Amino acid sequence: MGLLRYESQVRPPLVDGDKDYHQVTEDICRPVEAKPSRLWWIGFLISVALLAFGILSVTMEVIYGTGQWNLNKTIGWGWDITNFVWWVGIGHAGTLISAILLLFRQGWRTGVNRAAEAMTIFAVMCAGQFPIWHMGRVWDAFFVLPYGNTRGPLWVNFNSPLLWDVFAISTYFTVSLLFWYSGLLPDLATLRDRAKLKWRKMFYGVAAFGWTGSTKHWQRHEALSLVLAGLSTPLVLSVHTIVSFDFATSVVPGWHTTIFPPYFVAGAIFSGFAMVQTLLVVTRKVLALEEYITLEHIEVMNKVIILTGSIVGIAYLTELFMAWYSASPYEWYAFKENRLNLSSPYGWSYWIMMGCNVLSPQIFWFRKMRRNLVLTFFMSILINIGMWFERFVIIVTSVYRDYLPSAWSTYYAPTIWEVGFYMGTFGLFFTCYFLFSKFFPVIALAEIKHILKKNGKNYKEKMDEVEKESLTEFSEKHGHDHGA
Amino acid sequence: MSIREKFIIPKRYNTISIALMVIGIIAIAALYITHGASKDPHEQARFWASLLQNSVYFLLVVNAAMFFICATTLAWGGWTLVFRRVPEAISTVVPVIGVICFLILMAITFGDNHIIYHWADTEHVKHDPVLLHKSGFLNKGFFTVVTFLTIALWSFLGWKMRKLSRSLDEKPLATVEERKKYTWNNTVWSALFLVVFALTVMSSTPWLWLLSIDAHWFSTMYSWYTFASTFVAGVALIALFVVFLKNTGYLELTNDEHLHDIGKFMFAFSIFWTYLWFSQFMLIWYSNQPEETIYFVNRIGNSSHPGAYEGIFWLMVIINFLAPLLILMRRGAKRNYTTVTFMALLILFGHWLDFYQMVFPGPSPDHVPMILYDFGVALGFVGLIMFVTGRALSKAPLLAKNHPFLKESVIHHT
Repeated sequence: MGLLRYESQVRPPLVDGDKDYHQVTEDICRPVEAKPSRLWWIGFLISVALLAFGILSVTMEVIYGTGQWNLNKTIGWGWDITNFVWWVGIGHAGTLISAILLLFRQGWRTGVNRAAEAMTIFAVMCAGQFPIWHMGRVWDAFFVLPYGNTRGPLWVNFNSPLLWDVFAISTYFTVSLLFWYSGLLPDLATLRDRAKLKWRKMFYGVAAFGWTGSTKHWQRHEALSLVLAGLSTPLVLSVHTIVSFDFATSVVPGWHTTIFPPYFVAGAIFSGFAMVQTLLVVTRKVLALEEYITLEHIEVMNKVIILTGSIVGIAYLTELFMAWYSASPYEWYAFKENRLNLSSPYGWSYWIMMGCNVLSPQIFWFRKMRRNLVLTFFMSILINIGMWFERFVIIVTSVYRDYLPSAWSTYYAPTIWEVGFYMGTFGLFFTCYFLFSKFFPVIALAEIKHILKKNGKNYKEKMDEVEKESLTEFSEKHGHDHGA
Repeated sequence: MSIREKFIIPKRYNTISIALMVIGIIAIAALYITHGASKDPHEQARFWASLLQNSVYFLLVVNAAMFFICATTLAWGGWTLVFRRVPEAISTVVPVIGVICFLILMAITFGDNHIIYHWADTEHVKHDPVLLHKSGFLNKGFFTVVTFLTIALWSFLGWKMRKLSRSLDEKPLATVEERKKYTWNNTVWSALFLVVFALTVMSSTPWLWLLSIDAHWFSTMYSWYTFASTFVAGVALIALFVVFLKNTGYLELTNDEHLHDIGKFMFAFSIFWTYLWFSQFMLIWYSNQPEETIYFVNRIGNSSHPGAYEGIFWLMVIINFLAPLLILMRRGAKRNYTTVTFMALLILFGHWLDFYQMVFPGPSPDHVPMILYDFGVALGFVGLIMFVTGRALSKAPLLAKNHPFLKESVIHHT
């Protein structure tokens, strides 16, 4: 019988230290079973405070209407839609890691997938807030659902990409949640079995859905993972594709361009990975998980960042080039005067975007830089800022000078309640993340065990013998006949 | 297990490839006599359009083999190693078709016939404000320099990658450190190739060679779309050679698992192509701006103007999307030699048709020319690819036996 778990020693290990299955359980369950640290409490309380400020800001908007924001007739979409697109974009990395990288058999995903998926779900929750509260009359929000009604022929507009968004995002959220939670089941059962306190046993017992770890359970679990991965792979593409349709189906210069769908998806993965880095660089340190989220993981994610950042860069340049090439005076004006021109009212935002998203990630061409934690953290913040500005540039610099110069509006700055709403979503995001990191294992326990004997440092070191075997020896001993 | 390292070109293979090339030459000659030599510039253009479509399509397809190698190298993929020499051999065709394609492009740009490339007609451009505006980009000098550099860089970087791979054949790497260094070196060159690839295939090349046929029209998606089209066709070509070598008793270490993964690539990138096709089509249809819709009106028509290419257009969507979706979705289909061969041929043909409807509505908007000629020319290119790839396969060992990741590939499981 052949060797199923061989991997070249050229590849760095994905689990450092001398680990066995038991040690892995101990290391990953420790933060969940220990009392929260003071640092955790401080972080958690700050997040709750931000959330409270957000709730106040939204309350002001509900009571007094969207007039509390500085939007006007020309700039009808401002911070709110920028924030919406920004958060949805961030919510892409998790499902990419869990679904597409599962299909690609990428072992390194196991170190980061759990936290990334959780982050995805929280980010999508934050994103959803903006269109909902932007409606103004939020009590009529259920109008977006197409259902037989007593309002005569009044139906939702099926031709509108905004409605497609409702379907796309809610589907994405549902599938991501299922994926994340079904992956959690074996780990929750482990926590249940280790629990000493009664309430813990009960809490994790209910949460684990009666998982016993029998072969049958595992079989179904694996089958389910593949089915969900197959379902979510198109979803990773479709969500941001449809968000891009919100803009690209229009005839607004700077919005209507055919490259938007794949370019938005690449940008979303780019920003999602940046947010994963922001969270994990801190999480691995605070929870002492450096042996599971290794420098190798950080480096690989930085590679994804430079790849997607460069794809976005090519898209920016393509868009700019075509604006000129198209010979359309309106399109070219939007780029030349509203964006490239640094002395125009919002020209600076275009250059922040270019600097943060295209120029700065190029530093990751160097291996040393990809493995530098401080730089990684700094870059992840920079990219988050850059990607926020990308959406700001697309939205505001396109609409503030429309086809009618008398309607041009050069002044738009957010009010305190607009900023407060945005801060509030940070509060929501981090409150959820802090709770998650306290009550759930931030690393997929069972999945780490799955790769341990292949990618663990101590196991890889035992591979010397196999590594030395000649090809004929190796293929005779370990090769298996699959229609060879 | 004994491994046959050297591919000996079967006689029949040689005969078929030469026969196909002869068919190609006859088709070109016939096309020249019936159209190319005519005094009518539209007839002449029909001749050149066929050469343009075929040479550009097949050049991009064989170049996709090197893209496949570089992308998997950069991602540290191990599974492709058992058949790595196949895409390497295919990529040796790049300089050959590259030269042919360069000559054809030069002939079209500098010749007297401006039906295909309106922008090359300097007199006309003076009175056409749109083309005048674009002349900073669409001019003969820039076109020539960029085209030359593009083909030269693909050829050089491909050669470099093959050389790196061959360098291990006689010289196994003893230590892990040496292997790491080799992998690193490979990664750097692959990254360079991909940067060049992004700046050419995924942007400037399709703009210059193909988009400029409809010189007034524009679409930001165009190059990515072209890339998707030729990449999936490139993977199909790799699949064909892998199956052929297996059937003739080579590639002992390649098995159903590898074929399955090649099949997944064909499936996934067919869907990806459809995604880009739909995005481009739908966004232009939805916004309904005449300067953009004209492209599709020339192909599939609208209420006031019948489109001559409607049949070809929808046929190629069915071949390139529905067929792979329905046929390749099943696991068994991707592990079946016959199905994979059939689908690979279908995909290669489907994207050839795609290129047909990208090129021909420009010079021949009102009717589809007699497509049999173009089939003939295409067969000529197929013969050439067979011939050159066969040579390359017979020159190098069929297994990159000392590659650090080869053992991973031997026990690969999908």
